[in-house]
Amino acid sequence: MTVGIEYYVLLSLALFCIGLFGVLTRRNALMFLMSVELMLNAANINLIAFAFYHGNLTGQVFALFTMALAAAEVAVGLGIILVLYRNFRDVDVTVPSEMRW
Amino acid sequence: METAFELAPAIVLLPLAAFVVALLFGNYMPKKGALAGIVATAGSLLLSLYVMAAVATGGQHQETYFTWAAGDAVSETGVPTIEFTFGTLLDPLSALMLVIVSLIAFLVHVFSLGYMNDEGETGLPRYYAELGLFTFSMLAFVIADNLLMAFMFFELVGLCSYLLIGFWFRTESAPSAAKKAFLVTRFGDYFFLLGVVAIGATFGTLAFQGDGSFVAAAGEAIDNGETLFGFGAETWVTITGLLVLGGVIGKSAQFPLHTWLPDAMEGPTTVSALIHAATMVAAGVYLVARMFGYYALSPTALGIIAFVGGFTALFAATMGVVKDDIKQVLAYSTISQYGYMMLGLGVGGYVAGVFHLMNHAFFKALLFLGAGAVIVLMHHEQDMWKMGGLKDKAPIVYYTFLAGALALAGIVPFSGFWSKDEILFDAIIVGLNEPIFLAAYAMGLLAVFFTGFYTFRMVFLTFHGEPRSDAARDPHPVSWNIKFPLLTLGVLALVAGIANLAPVYKLTGLEITYLEFWLDGQYGGYADLTYSAYGDTVPFGTDYIGSETITLLIAAGLGLGLAVGGAVFAMVLYNVPEPEPHTENLGSARTVLRSNYYQDEYQVWLAENLTLPLARAADRFDQTVIDGVVNGVSSVSLFGSGRMKRLQTGVVTNYAALLIVGFIVLLVVLGVLGGWFV
Repeated sequence: MTVGIEYYVLLSLALFCIGLFGVLTRRNALMFLMSVELMLNAANINLIAFAFYHGNLTGQVFALFTMALAAAEVAVGLGIILVLYRNFRDVDVTVPSEMRW
Repeated sequence: METAFELAPAIVLLPLAAFVVALLFGNYMPKKGALAGIVATAGSLLLSLYVMAAVATGGQHQETYFTWAAGDAVSETGVPTIEFTFGTLLDPLSALMLVIVSLIAFLVHVFSLGYMNDEGETGLPRYYAELGLFTFSMLAFVIADNLLMAFMFFELVGLCSYLLIGFWFRTESAPSAAKKAFLVTRFGDYFFLLGVVAIGATFGTLAFQGDGSFVAAAGEAIDNGETLFGFGAETWVTITGLLVLGGVIGKSAQFPLHTWLPDAMEGPTTVSALIHAATMVAAGVYLVARMFGYYALSPTALGIIAFVGGFTALFAATMGVVKDDIKQVLAYSTISQYGYMMLGLGVGGYVAGVFHLMNHAFFKALLFLGAGAVIVLMHHEQDMWKMGGLKDKAPIVYYTFLAGALALAGIVPFSGFWSKDEILFDAIIVGLNEPIFLAAYAMGLLAVFFTGFYTFRMVFLTFHGEPRSDAARDPHPVSWNIKFPLLTLGVLALVAGIANLAPVYKLTGLEITYLEFWLDGQYGGYADLTYSAYGDTVPFGTDYIGSETITLLIAAGLGLGLAVGGAVFAMVLYNVPEPEPHTENLGSARTVLRSNYYQDEYQVWLAENLTLPLARAADRFDQTVIDGVVNGVSSVSLFGSGRMKRLQTGVVTNYAALLIVGFIVLLVVLGVLGGWFV
């Protein structure tokens, strides 16, 4: 039995909204990064689901690219967080607010 | 013949080379740059004579050397393109003027050896460089084949005039006189520039000669009854002609822009002779002659030229009567004589005007150089009341000066008589047909008396009677380099009248009016630039008292009688051993004349009470309205950006929120526009 496409979309939507909620409310930089991962994976689910639905492998290939991108992003993001911690003794994203007007 | 025309640019470029040489190496040269100038002007003179000979044997030449800008602006008459060029136009008029200018420039350079070098002046390389630059600009002005080139070199001679008037820049008066000359002539040149632009925009060409000239185009427009810029063609020709005339009035020191010329006498006397008597001041009159075909189309413009000329002739002559400085007398006589030329041209007497231009160049350069010699004799004293008795001490200076004076006063058979007589004759025959011109004629005629008077007052005070100062009792000797130019010009002042003995022709029928044939293109020249071509266009008729001969005799008799009368009157008053200052008997009239009719005062008053408040108001408008708008725009954007920048909180969560809100807004907008919600 096949699961209907709409369930995948709902799952992806839920996952994206959780990620979005995290980005907008969390102050911890690590949580921030995780939320971004959630959103990326929501997109991945969408890509794969529709690829399966259309019987076309392009979407799945793109999901692989997105994973590679996510890995790179995490590497850079963790680097930034490390520097952040070294400078502020904290990983709260609201503390470093010097770069403004 | 072709060689002469191909060499013509060298006439102009030789003095330019002298300018460079004198400027760079003058200090290391034996005569401080004088030799470079003498060689260059002598070369120019020889080449000019060659060109004149080529024109005399049936040649004429027009060549464009350089196009420095071309555009495709459509003119008012529908010419699709316009070109700005440098080129030469060699015809009888320019060939004659080339010879006059290069001859006088050469003689003045020689005279400068005696007047500047021998008197131990400093700054001589600068002096000779500026003389060279002036000669270059003047010659280039003369050969210009279009109005814009003429304008450019017209400005350049003005600059050289400014530099040379202010040659003794350490004195207080010379820089001030230089500035005055510059500003007053610039005021006229402003109108000239407007005229050039107007003519270019109207006819799409600035050439003087040929079918493609603005003169031909203007004639055509008048014949076709076209409307140019909302005016009838003839009115528009009058307006543009009068705009150009503004430059002429400034440069040729005509009323009311004549005030700079007497002050210009602050420069060295050689400069006065070359620039402020013989050549640069002639540039204005030459320009009118050069585009005479254009003025001939408009009776109004001609009438204004005639009246400005006639009035200036009389006006300046009366002021010359009361001056004590020998150079001031000559300055006012120069203004007056240029008035005669304008009068002659204004009544359609093209040949008469050019003839007087030529004669005046010779005899006035002679008189100024003579005055320079007198100043050397007198150890740099210019007040005639401190002179006297120089006649026996310096006979060559005396006799040459006398020749110039007789020519200036217009005593037969000296050159000035023939040309002045021709101008007055042309004025009276036009006046008899159109009585309004009789007024201009009367002013010119009356000025003859004053001319005779002030000329001989000057001669008698300077050379006759008993010496009235130590300097006059023991004059400084003058050498060959002063005598040679005086003798050359003295002979020319005597004989130059032979060029056009029009009265003799009219009385006896002998065909000896060579200058008329010359300017009529009978030897060579362009058909559209001849006296007869102009004569067909000039709209004035002529009339005679009785017959032509009787009118001629009456006019000549009146002119000569008044000139002799003035001279005799001066002789009675001043040719005594101990002359008295008779002008003091004139009372308040003398005060007015000594103050030059308060011309300077009213012009300063106009500047201070009209121009200055106007400039202040314009400044205020600029400061408040124009700058206010600019400043307002900048403060509004400054304030706005001050508020906008608050968006940058530095908190990364806010940025994420903004990103998302922006994305949603974009989505909604695209959705609404794309019709998703319908």
